[in-house]
Amino acid sequence: MRILITGMGGELGTRVANLLEADPTFTEIIGIDSYPPRRRTTRADFRRVDPRDRRKAVHLVRDFDPEVILHLGIYEPNARFDPTEARLGTAASAVAVLGAARSCPSLKGIVVRSGIEVYGRRRGAPSRPDEQAAVDPTTPFGLSMAYVEQVAIEAGQLAGVPVTSLRCGPIVGPSVPSPLGRYLRLPVVAVSPFAELPFCLLHQEDAALAVVAAGLGGHDGPLNVVGPGAVTASQAVLRGGRLPIPTIGPGWLLAAAAAELLGAPLPAHTRELLVRGGVADGALAAEVLGLSPRPTDDVVAQLYQWATVAHITPAARGAAA
Amino acid sequence: MSPVTLDYLGRRAHGAYDIDEWGLDPELVALANPLLALRWDIEVTGADRLPAVGGAVLVFNRRFGVSEPWVVARGVRQACGRFVRTVGAPDVAPIGPFLRRFGGVLDRTDEIAGLLRAGQLVGLPMSRDLRRRDRVGRLEVGRLEAALATGSPVVPVALVGRESGRAWRIVVGEPIAPPVGGGPLASAELAEATRHGVQAILDDALPSSWWG
Repeated sequence: MRILITGMGGELGTRVANLLEADPTFTEIIGIDSYPPRRRTTRADFRRVDPRDRRKAVHLVRDFDPEVILHLGIYEPNARFDPTEARLGTAASAVAVLGAARSCPSLKGIVVRSGIEVYGRRRGAPSRPDEQAAVDPTTPFGLSMAYVEQVAIEAGQLAGVPVTSLRCGPIVGPSVPSPLGRYLRLPVVAVSPFAELPFCLLHQEDAALAVVAAGLGGHDGPLNVVGPGAVTASQAVLRGGRLPIPTIGPGWLLAAAAAELLGAPLPAHTRELLVRGGVADGALAAEVLGLSPRPTDDVVAQLYQWATVAHITPAARGAAA
Repeated sequence: MSPVTLDYLGRRAHGAYDIDEWGLDPELVALANPLLALRWDIEVTGADRLPAVGGAVLVFNRRFGVSEPWVVARGVRQACGRFVRTVGAPDVAPIGPFLRRFGGVLDRTDEIAGLLRAGQLVGLPMSRDLRRRDRVGRLEVGRLEAALATGSPVVPVALVGRESGRAWRIVVGEPIAPPVGGGPLASAELAEATRHGVQAILDDALPSSWWG
């Protein structure tokens, strides 16, 4: 099976490529992104393509003629790019790659990385939406992903193939560049203990497994991929041994500015998650993809675990060689 | 301070407690129990009719509606150990998140359906009837759509008590199985049967004499 991965330079894209490399079903793997993969790949062929370079991306997709497209080129604001660059990159990547999909005669399916942010957290919105809930994003990141889903559905209709939109919970992990992860790991963290609602998380490895399973599955429609259970921001901060600072109203502007100074900018969707919460019903995804993501409690625990660094002395290095 | 209290405070200080996806904090409910016991003295009849597992909608009458949701939640927890998710929490901070910690949920069909699918007991208050203590309020036709959609039983529950008093009585009726198939007729039939069920229990539960 020939498979194309967009956003292969990201943590999720690289891990998905590694998982695909281990499966002989996937005979040819090509990945594109504007940055190289974050880990070594063996069989996957990486091509450096700027998502805004539509002409190059379209040629590459047409020439490769993939059977499955895994569109992971979704750039979270303040993860690796500033919010404007992330929004423009996400939109350009979707239009270029998914737009070219209809001219791929061998195409059998499209998988898109989306997020539960597409449901939005407007006042009165369902607390734990399932896939039937209306898409009503309330943040720029949610809007970006809703747009990508729409482009993918259109491309799927034109190509006559199923489109799986994986609406992932916030993906965090010890090595994922995530504004939420960075913020929660600050030594002092602003929270709203009297107004906050719980949120769920998704471990980076479960997100990668879900993408691979969706690539093989051919499900047509959205799937919520979330870790079971939920925590509030205060709980997460306390579990991490950080100091929570109760904050209300305009205090959040000050908190966001302070967090940015400390290297953990707080984009709108993360601020919304911390106060308004964000969970989703992941039962359908568990059934369709056959996955059991790690509980949110475990993901929080891992977020605060720092891997031990093994210092290798020059002598030891020589011995190892 | 007792070791139990110290242990409790230690767990809260380290965030080592559970909150479910709708915001219920069982440990906080347990902490508030002695306080709630001072306010309400509840007697439950027919608790064996409450399902031990799985989702169900408990439809109950209310008059002023201040005590009733708390009384049902506490009474059912006392009788069978299960939490009741009471419909009607506003989505406005800080009152909304506070009520959610005690089991409040939004009044939305999809929210109720999600709870039922997750095997929760959902408390659904009927509309208020301030004038007459012996008449139950209205139950709009569409309010039991979640039960119909998920095939969950509807349990009529009658409450007898006064806001000004401590003593409350909860009488649980026979569960009503939702009609097979959906549609407005099935919905109307279920709402009517449920309203009638609550009224019948209330008629039996209320004292038969002015001096009773």
